[in-house]
Amino acid sequence: MPEPDGELVLDRLIHEPGRLAILTVLSSVKDADFVFLQRTTGLTKGNLSSHLTKLEEAGLVAIEKRFIRKKPNTNVALTPQGKRGIAHHWDQLERLKRLSETATA
Amino acid sequence: MEREHLQSAAVSYTYFKGLYAIPGGLLAIASALRNWAWGPLRHEWVFLCILVLLGVAYLLMARHYNENYGRATLSTRDQVRGGVVVVAGVPLVIGVSLLLRSRADWSLDLPVNPTAALLAALMLASYAAVGVLRRHHVIVFGALLVAGLLPVWNGADPSNIGLFLAGIAFIVAGVLDHRELVRTFGPADRLRLEHGNAGA
Repeated sequence: MPEPDGELVLDRLIHEPGRLAILTVLSSVKDADFVFLQRTTGLTKGNLSSHLTKLEEAGLVAIEKRFIRKKPNTNVALTPQGKRGIAHHWDQLERLKRLSETATA
Repeated sequence: MEREHLQSAAVSYTYFKGLYAIPGGLLAIASALRNWAWGPLRHEWVFLCILVLLGVAYLLMARHYNENYGRATLSTRDQVRGGVVVVAGVPLVIGVSLLLRSRADWSLDLPVNPTAALLAALMLASYAAVGVLRRHHVIVFGALLVAGLLPVWNGADPSNIGLFLAGIAFIVAGVLDHRELVRTFGPADRLRLEHGNAGA
């Protein structure tokens, strides 16, 4: 049941567990590389790669490919839109949680 | 999905790269031994060689962490939080150390070991400030703090013993930090990277 002060809508792109984990990790750092995201989210290389492509296409993350000591390195950071998106998404989830608690009380 | 766990991952990772504490602790021990002019460390060049070796060890450890666990830059808020403890803590440690025991007229000249006690307090404060204080930190640095504050340090200046004990404490806590990192993020060889650190 939506609250009177705003509609409760969850963005499906962000709500997918893998992408939500990636965006949540990125929301707490300036930037992180591919291996760090793999370690923290527990996603496989293929899954992480596919999620990052979708997030980049949606303008939520910026991906920089570079070389460090002649080895390829993929660095990822949230875009301003991504920062707003993940903050809003967690707000919505919190609202949803409060609503369900109120409903069951 | 635990939001807090994901959000604190970068801070935990930064502070639990415990292998870095091994060259740090060995540097403290070597400095104490050099101050005592112990064995070969009475020669300046031996100490310089040790410094170079520790520097190389540090770089190898940095490479190990970067390649196996990745890189993450802390948010400005977390960087400031950690920086404030160091910037405020170092002059505080020096000031309180002089107050507790020194040749200064205004020193209380207590029979304590300020180096051990204050380095322990600084470490505890830095872990607590960024929210990664663990039981092993409390045990290791708490023991060093208590040892430093025991009123048994009569006689000659105990700074070197304090530095030596702090070096051991850094190494022990570092090894336990690294264990915590492996428990949280998995063993180093877990990710079988086919083409290095590339994706997407």
